[in-house]
Amino acid sequence: MDALGIDLSRLLTFLVGFTVIAVFLRMFLYGPITRMLDQRAERIQESLEAADRASAEAASSAERVEQELANARQEGQSLIAEARDAASRLKDQEAERTRAQVDEMLDRAREEIRREREAAVEEVRREFAGIAILAAERIVEQSLNEDSHRELIDRVLEEGLDARNN
Amino acid sequence: MLSSPKGIAIAVFLLAVAIISVLGGALGAAFGGGFLGGAVPHLQVPSELVAYIGGYPLYNTVVMFVAAIVVLLLLTWLATRKISEVPGRWQALMEILYEFFIGLAESTSGKAGRIFIPVATAIFLVVLFSNWLGVLPVIGNIGRVETTTEYFFHKFEGKAESEGYAEVLEGLHHDVGKMGEGMGHYLETHADVESVQKLVGKTLETYGEQDFVIFDGGGIRLLPFGRGNDYKLSLIDVVAYDVTDPTHPTAEDVIKIADRVGESVAPASVPNTGFFSENPEKYASLAGKRAGILVPYLRGSSTDLNMTLAIAIFAMVSVQFWGIKTLGVGGYWDKFIGNPFKRNPIDLFVGVLELVGEFIKVVSFTFRLFGNMFAGEILLIAMGFLFPLIGMIPFIGLELFVGFIQAIIFSVLTLMFGAFAIMPHHHPEGDHHGAEGH
Repeated sequence: MDALGIDLSRLLTFLVGFTVIAVFLRMFLYGPITRMLDQRAERIQESLEAADRASAEAASSAERVEQELANARQEGQSLIAEARDAASRLKDQEAERTRAQVDEMLDRAREEIRREREAAVEEVRREFAGIAILAAERIVEQSLNEDSHRELIDRVLEEGLDARNN
Repeated sequence: MLSSPKGIAIAVFLLAVAIISVLGGALGAAFGGGFLGGAVPHLQVPSELVAYIGGYPLYNTVVMFVAAIVVLLLLTWLATRKISEVPGRWQALMEILYEFFIGLAESTSGKAGRIFIPVATAIFLVVLFSNWLGVLPVIGNIGRVETTTEYFFHKFEGKAESEGYAEVLEGLHHDVGKMGEGMGHYLETHADVESVQKLVGKTLETYGEQDFVIFDGGGIRLLPFGRGNDYKLSLIDVVAYDVTDPTHPTAEDVIKIADRVGESVAPASVPNTGFFSENPEKYASLAGKRAGILVPYLRGSSTDLNMTLAIAIFAMVSVQFWGIKTLGVGGYWDKFIGNPFKRNPIDLFVGVLELVGEFIKVVSFTFRLFGNMFAGEILLIAMGFLFPLIGMIPFIGLELFVGFIQAIIFSVLTLMFGAFAIMPHHHPEGDHHGAEGH
């Protein structure tokens, strides 16, 4: 033992020294480093899960957007169709009303014309009757029973007018 | 490489260094060169005492062990001062280390293997830095000079104890600094001169051939440069050069020897034997200078058997602790012997062998690390001696590698022994039933 230099005091010095440094390393190096390793492993696990969740979410939201787009397109389509429909209905109504108005105006105008003509015919007839009577008085130079004559003249005129009309 | 002028210059420079190295070293000394050669340092297995701190002896390997601990404290500080999930360089380095050991432990013992990690990694780090610091060049060449006074006193003391003359030592100063004085005084005044004569003779008989280097001064020294390994004096040349029979000194001789032991200088007259007796002209300038052995202040702590034994004991005690903690005292004991009367003889024999093996493992741990690192130290010294300047360079690389491998071996073996220790004892089916049948 002496030749090898082994003695108890040196042995204990190294043993105590090693124990102290081993405990120190356990507390201040092994502890923090493994804690950090575990923490990082946990964090990576969490991140992977979060990424999975996020990608799933992204997929579902893309689907929703697609759905909404389709809905919007459909709605737009239907709106356009409706508008077109309304427009054509409106056009028809308008045309109808215009036609009715025109018809009414035409009718009124026709009525007016008829009434005017009738009035004119009446006036002419009345004038012709007077003139005829006058003429007849002059011709006959006598005072005739005016009423009987008037009847006669009317008949003549009537005939005359009919003949002209036909 | 030789195509550019720079390359040629480097090649020429390297060649010149190589030639100087060979000529200046031990090889060149045979042809009149050897101008770079120093004395081969004194080598010994026990670590050397370098100082007393408050009465407590400080050994050079302990100094380097403390240095290794300081490096580890620094490393811990670097790795954990800004600890975060995004690791810095030092933190990443330590994480690699711990992940390596955790992976190894979990692959052998699963989650239970985690209990090995703190001890295994501490062994790895301490052994690694002890080994690496020991490989540093130059450290082995700086030291204090151990004079013949100190050397002779220690050997004399050892002889007195081993030869049964312990009572002779009573009254002798134990203070290293005053040893020469004490020795001379003691030898002059002690009544039992006959015992002292015998002891001095025996000391010189055993250690008289020990070489002493001639130094230019005292205090902190480098090994003297440029003097070859031949420039040495034996202990007898220093303290008993004119004594006719140093192994059987007369009473007058003992007084003479004690005085020279106290002075510890190269004597004025040219020695009768060895190198200087044939080259007396080379001795002239050295006479009167200090003779001593260089005791390096620093020596790799893994070249001390106390250190390797301490870690081996720690490792194997840890292994037993893990085994008992996991299997319980009974369960762990069952791995070895269990109930000796219920076990078949072959099993019992194997169990006893395994129990002895636990102690053998301590020894094998101790000597494996010590042997590798001490051999490495000797290799480096030999290379420095043969090829000064450059001889060490490739071998320092080799020794760094060996130091790393030994650290890995020590720690991984500890882990593996731990893995075996926590495995429950497996009874072979038939054997177990047979035992119960009795």
